[in-house]
Amino acid sequence: MEIKKQIQSMIAEAKIYCTQGLLEEAIVYYQNAKNLVEKNEKVKNRETILKTIEDRIISLENEIQKVKDLKESAPVSSEVQDLIKTKFAFSKDENESALEGAIALAKFGQYERALQEFDELLQVDSLRLAAAKNIIRCHIAMSTIEKAVDIYQEWMAGDLFPQDQLYKINIFFKSIIDSKGLDIMLPQVEEPVDFEMNELGESENEDDEFMDISSIGISLDTGSEKKRMIDLDVSFQQGNEINLIISSKNKDLIDNLKVGFRLNDVQFYSPFAIFTGSGIVSAKTQIGFGPKQGDYSLDITVINK
Amino acid sequence: MANINIKKREIECKIVYYGPGRSGKTTNLEYIFKSYKNYVSGEMISIKTEGDRTLFFDFLPIGLGTIKGYDVRVQLYTVPGQVQYTSTRRLVLKEVDGIVFVADSLKVRREKNMQSLKDLQNNLKGYDLSIFKVPLVLQYNKRDLSKQGIPLMHSELMEKELNSQLKVPSFQASAITGQGVGVTLKECLMLTLKSIRKQLKTVK
Repeated sequence: MEIKKQIQSMIAEAKIYCTQGLLEEAIVYYQNAKNLVEKNEKVKNRETILKTIEDRIISLENEIQKVKDLKESAPVSSEVQDLIKTKFAFSKDENESALEGAIALAKFGQYERALQEFDELLQVDSLRLAAAKNIIRCHIAMSTIEKAVDIYQEWMAGDLFPQDQLYKINIFFKSIIDSKGLDIMLPQVEEPVDFEMNELGESENEDDEFMDISSIGISLDTGSEKKRMIDLDVSFQQGNEINLIISSKNKDLIDNLKVGFRLNDVQFYSPFAIFTGSGIVSAKTQIGFGPKQGDYSLDITVINK
Repeated sequence: MANINIKKREIECKIVYYGPGRSGKTTNLEYIFKSYKNYVSGEMISIKTEGDRTLFFDFLPIGLGTIKGYDVRVQLYTVPGQVQYTSTRRLVLKEVDGIVFVADSLKVRREKNMQSLKDLQNNLKGYDLSIFKVPLVLQYNKRDLSKQGIPLMHSELMEKELNSQLKVPSFQASAITGQGVGVTLKECLMLTLKSIRKQLKTVK
């Protein structure tokens, strides 16, 4: 095939990939066409063609970046939020289902709406503690920890929570503050009489069966961090699923922790105990928005303890 | 697991369209919404974003009417195909009853198909489900693009690479024209209902 036709064919293919939304593939074909033009000085209008192709590549790269920058927590209509709330709650029990729906909203990044739902669930005796913890979690995820502190102080001043629940919330919140190294003093709650340590892990709902984990320690078998214990803070937890943020600078760790990777001998740190267990990396997502843009959000399913 | 109400004789099940980004999952649902009006029981909800990509999921409720005395309602979902939305895909897969895997026939998407199928297997594992046991149908989409001179994979190659171990029903399709869309869904529904019938026997 003569050079001109080869170039035309590559550009035509690139254009079709564009119409299919396959932007990376389109860039490859534009790049191939560009290389071919560069190699052949006899191509007519060479400079103009090169400039056109280069502009197209830049424009496609910008489009790709826009897609990458999209945040997974984009606001959606209340109709869609209602759908998330109802369709991602599976329990037959009405209250449990309401809690699941609120948690689903938080998982889809609809924190403001989730907070409204958790707020209502504070009125349900059996879900009060779980709702309170999730309110704190939402504020942590939204980076509005000061607001969580204000709410906690309101709970302390009010009579909604019995002493043992306030104590549990205090321990839970304190562990988050400590794990993040924040300089925030929470008002002390007196330890209730007859309070037993194992009550900290007691379940208020199915998703909350696991003890609260504030950080974990892992060691890898390969890479420059081999065998060294690495401590990572837990940013969010739902039942046996924990979420961690890993800096993009920690390349070895990011490369090693692929989805499906099993981590053995993990040290799980809870406010009162350290236990060893295993976990499986269940999701890894590069954060495309906000102050932690470029870092990785990692979900780990704790499979035993 | 499907929602089975024996008293009310109602079955509600969930079918998820899975596959790599831009493979045509949303286009499948759009075609169903447009062309099977008699079965559609509500609006199609689509959460799209920049570049027409699915952000969270698409949702389309359909009703199959009464089958063996049961009112059968089906909820069709798609997942976001872009690699970075792993956790959303996992959420959408929760309590799935049947899956349509929409593979892209374009040669340049060969690797992406395989990665997405592997991702599906991993995400199912997270719910203690096996890709070899869940009702699953493969769809080789975009066959119409061969007319535009775009290199496509031979369906035999796709069958070998994606289905040699699974050995599930597979269909060639062009979701944009509707070719193969109905037959893919029908087969997935049949497999899903068969699996639910087994569950019903256990419940009884």
